[in-house]
Amino acid sequence: MTAALTEKKPGLRDELISLLGTDQVMESALERHLYAKDSGVYTGNPTLVVMIHNAEEVAAVVKAARRHDVPVVARGAGTGLSAGAVPEVGGVVLVTTRMNSIEHIDAENRTAWVGPGVINLDLSNVTIPYGLHFAPDPSSQSACTVGGNIACNSGGPHCLSEGSTVNHVLALEVVTDEGAIVTVGGPAPDPIGLDLRGILVGSEGTLGIVTRALVKLTPNAPDVRTLAVAFPTIEDAAATVSGIIAAGLIPAALEMMDQLMMQVIENWLHAGLPIHAGALLLAEVTGVTEAVDAEAQIISRIAEEHNALSVQVAVSSEERAVLWKSRKSAFGAVAQAAPDYYLHDTVVPRTSLVEAMRQVYEIGKRYEITMMNVFHAGDGNLHPLMAFDASVPGELDKVKAAADELVQICVEQGGVLSGEHGIGIEKRHLMPLLFSDVDLDAQARVKEVFDAEGVFNPGKILPEGSRCFDFGRPVPEGVWV
Amino acid sequence: MGYQTPYAPTRTELSNCIQCGLCLPHCPTFRLTGKETDSPRGRLTAMSAVLDGIIEIDDTFEETLSFCLGCRACEPVCPSMVPYGRTLEGARAEIAAQRGGVARRFRAWITVSWLGSRAMMNSITFATALVQRCGLARVAPSRFRTGLGGLRRIRWKTPSLQGKRFEPEGAPVATVGFLVGCIMGPWFGEVHQASISLLVRAGYRVVVPPGQTCCGALAAHDGAADGASRMASHNVKAFGDVDYVVADAAGCSAHLKDYAHWVPPDEMGNWQVKDINELIAEAIEGGRLPRSTRRRGGAALQHPCHLRNAQRITDQPRVILEAAGYDPSDIDPMCCGAAGFYSILRPETSAHLGKNKVKEIRQTESTVVASANPGCEMQLRSHLGEGYQVLHPVELYAQALEEDSETTA
Amino acid sequence: MKNPFGAIPVADTEALPPAEMALAPTSIEETAQALRIATDHRMKVLVWGGGNHQGYGHRTYPDVVLTTTSLDRIQVWEPEDLTLVAEAGVPIAKVEQMLGEHRQTTLLPVHGETATIGGALATGLSGYQRFRYGPSRDRVLETTAITGDGRTVRAGGRVVKNVTGYDIPRLMVGSMGRLGLIGAVCLKLVPTPSTAVTVTVDDPAAAQAALYRPLAILSTPTEHRAFLWGTPAEVESQAASVGTDLINGLAWPAPPSGLMTWSLRVPPSCLQEAIDRLPPSWDYVAQHGVGLVECGTPDLDLQSALKLREWSESQGGAMVLAGGPETLYEQMDPWGTPPNGLDYQRRLVAEFDPYGVLNPGRLPGGI
Repeated sequence: MTAALTEKKPGLRDELISLLGTDQVMESALERHLYAKDSGVYTGNPTLVVMIHNAEEVAAVVKAARRHDVPVVARGAGTGLSAGAVPEVGGVVLVTTRMNSIEHIDAENRTAWVGPGVINLDLSNVTIPYGLHFAPDPSSQSACTVGGNIACNSGGPHCLSEGSTVNHVLALEVVTDEGAIVTVGGPAPDPIGLDLRGILVGSEGTLGIVTRALVKLTPNAPDVRTLAVAFPTIEDAAATVSGIIAAGLIPAALEMMDQLMMQVIENWLHAGLPIHAGALLLAEVTGVTEAVDAEAQIISRIAEEHNALSVQVAVSSEERAVLWKSRKSAFGAVAQAAPDYYLHDTVVPRTSLVEAMRQVYEIGKRYEITMMNVFHAGDGNLHPLMAFDASVPGELDKVKAAADELVQICVEQGGVLSGEHGIGIEKRHLMPLLFSDVDLDAQARVKEVFDAEGVFNPGKILPEGSRCFDFGRPVPEGVWV
Repeated sequence: MGYQTPYAPTRTELSNCIQCGLCLPHCPTFRLTGKETDSPRGRLTAMSAVLDGIIEIDDTFEETLSFCLGCRACEPVCPSMVPYGRTLEGARAEIAAQRGGVARRFRAWITVSWLGSRAMMNSITFATALVQRCGLARVAPSRFRTGLGGLRRIRWKTPSLQGKRFEPEGAPVATVGFLVGCIMGPWFGEVHQASISLLVRAGYRVVVPPGQTCCGALAAHDGAADGASRMASHNVKAFGDVDYVVADAAGCSAHLKDYAHWVPPDEMGNWQVKDINELIAEAIEGGRLPRSTRRRGGAALQHPCHLRNAQRITDQPRVILEAAGYDPSDIDPMCCGAAGFYSILRPETSAHLGKNKVKEIRQTESTVVASANPGCEMQLRSHLGEGYQVLHPVELYAQALEEDSETTA
Repeated sequence: MKNPFGAIPVADTEALPPAEMALAPTSIEETAQALRIATDHRMKVLVWGGGNHQGYGHRTYPDVVLTTTSLDRIQVWEPEDLTLVAEAGVPIAKVEQMLGEHRQTTLLPVHGETATIGGALATGLSGYQRFRYGPSRDRVLETTAITGDGRTVRAGGRVVKNVTGYDIPRLMVGSMGRLGLIGAVCLKLVPTPSTAVTVTVDDPAAAQAALYRPLAILSTPTEHRAFLWGTPAEVESQAASVGTDLINGLAWPAPPSGLMTWSLRVPPSCLQEAIDRLPPSWDYVAQHGVGLVECGTPDLDLQSALKLREWSESQGGAMVLAGGPETLYEQMDPWGTPPNGLDYQRRLVAEFDPYGVLNPGRLPGGI
């Protein structure tokens, strides 16, 4: 089913229109062009685009697509960066933005049933009256959908203390490759049997399509301190991060940005960032007042031991809001430096931060690419950002080569390919850097269990040929039944 | 085919969009349909696709761009600072140039020839006053009903301010050139009165240059680019060498601030454009205008898109309302759906947004509503119905000062 | 019968269930070899850690018992990175003692001296601190598992945040060994704050409302306790808001014991009702905010247990047998009603253990 779809499928089109109505099926050149890519750099070519409203529609679309031998690619707000929602080989792009109902906010159990199209920040805003929020807070949280978060197991600054999306999903309603609607997981702790919910989260829409999720909500902290610490160098800031973790402190968030990044953000936001410093560390501690005061003090002391130039403690919610806005809009602000950017996502052990950062800048210098950094330092989750102009011939290839090298150095440091963006198309060719044939084969078997015919988001996560591991040993006589 | 006019969106403008999607949740039409085609990111991608020759300017392209309210809520949230409003006007100019059409030409005739002509506006005003008085508004086609229902009581004729000059006591702080506009004079004359009296009291010399015309905003928004360009040049000449050009309708002040896109650089005046909210708030904070000591209760503060999004003016109306003795509560910034011609062209979408807005206003439990833009004011009044007072912040402030002086007297 | 396992060390069979053979491989490679041979010979293998949680799941009557006793190395410990890589057979008590000296913890439940990391994870058990920190599953970063047919599958990574590939480590937790023997695992550690107290409280619901994310609030038949840790000032003020009867440190209650032990799982809001429904003679530890009640019974009153199960399942929960006489397992399903998606569970197991040799039948649905 993975062969490229070069022709339109009139039968499928008619079937989908009778299923969903003309309004909900998009097929013009412009509409298909707009759904060809997400926020990353890869482009596909949708055969058709459909807006869906409930699980029954999803099931019907999946069955129809399967009958016509056309894959289905689920998409939320299209803010992904690893091309997870890019219909690389064509297919039906299934848009979940209309499935945005928030049902049954259960304050006692701290849960809510939500549609995949619910915008992440909307969910947290709606639950304010209950003193609760949805903990995963990717930088795109004002736009991205919970369905996308589930697909990519998204993180965000505050997953340092709260964990990624998978820690906040209790149950999923999924449409399977056969078009069945199944709910896995549940509201009680430790559902029996294999953790199908756990394997579905982060599977990038390759195993099934989530049509509803029971998410866990987290109590809002009674008090917060956000520290903005300026350092002369990125090394000092990184050493401070290691120092904080080693001191046994897990702040709610530990974020870092370098000078170039600060400058472009400041240009847009006028947040008063210390643009003359080499690096800025944002540390946030949450909890009761006594705890946040004590922890803020410890962080300040560690920072001062590492040559901090200034420590600003934001107490009011307005001050905090400006600091976080500067952090979360960083990537968008890059357009001021160059028309295109490639935002990377890799992870190293936190103890390797200083060395990894040194090599990141070295790669930037060697490839002559503007390298900016703003990242989740507390997790060791790097986001080197390369600003470039794709209209210059050869520039994108150069950037991609540098990107691969960045992954390589992180893997050498004991890191992994992606911390929160996912593998998608972007990094599937790098999977063998981390995994053996046997490991990849095991992952391919997982895919096969859920989607043997490859109807869901084909070609994502695993490089071609993953499911070909041959045990390669002689079979003892007589044992095969 | 690509683009053919000098107004078209440029590669520099469009390439700023890196498709991060942070604009999506702020876009009223995207919130309505959830479709990429109805989002700022989608519209910009569509404009780029035409520029790159990937698609033609066709029905889908036109629908995508005409569904946009032009509220520019995407601009303040865009970290890449994409000039969305400008590209939208450019793309609509292209659509008009390449696709023409009777309806569009008719609209251009209204936005340029009617709004730009005092005689025409007087006739329309007379006709509208007649419609109002005969109760014809109730039987008008539904798409016009919202607008008619939201009008203030219209006078048969309002004497023009053009050519008048108002001197402050003592040496003037600066000279303000006042834009009378198209509908503001005849339909919202009270706002002009309040604005001018406050400006004078704040120490400004106010001149109302003769020969000025409609600012051209509605023409520009609708793709009547040549007309808009002519109107802009005309006004630039009329205003001559004042210090500030001031408008008291958010849509007008926003458009005046964009004149650099419509007038050749060598023709541009040396003045700065200010919305009335800016100068009055500044005067209050500078002690040139008094703060009322009387408390007047709550007021719902609606932020017109062309004030908040196009000019990033949010604090000033609040300052003015507080000085007037009100306790303002902000209404969610999502567009109210008035959006110029939008309420006539797409009455359903417009009404949907208007109803949402009204729901929020009702939640504040204030019956006083402040709105600094005539279109918004009409939309709110129409959807709110009886029992609400919808006025410009400077009107509320001027009224408050008057009340205060009567009490002391 | 000739020993087909060659040089793989044989285990001391004392305290192990009866089987033809007992093996104690000393490395992941030897374990893989043992399982390959078992697959070749279609011999059923029962994995045995400390033997503490063998009461969970359907019974397996094995040909071979494979103990993880000799997979007892702590491979890597990065105190500054708060990560630890340990082999399956490492006793939790031992690792906790080592980590405790550096004020760190795995948060895994310490059940006596013998319970192993592999055992707790395969059974999917979590420590009482899960109210604050979530279940053990949330801290498993990487697993190196040996599948039923002897493949060594590594998944995840040794960093605290990772979305590289399918989350097989998460699937391994609670899989009762059916997807593979968790040979080695990388865990995210949690730093232990300087101060910890246990407060006796009158009303656990009020305590839950008053406290900001306590470690745990537990009820036993005799009392309710709140467990707190953090900076001294924080702990002091939090404790004072709920009670005056303080014990320094975390005074966890003893796990309930009895002729039968059960794990009752309900949505947190149903916890008080669950407690109220327990027969008065039962011992229990109930975790507020989590919805878990561990129960121990003085008799073999299966009827009461099954009634509770019916109710818990109607609330979206489960009532799982955690231990009892062997005959009990023939009288009823230790798991209760199998979950949704059983086909997928069966197919997953078939991919990891194609010949059904590793702990066959342990999972719900007899998978």
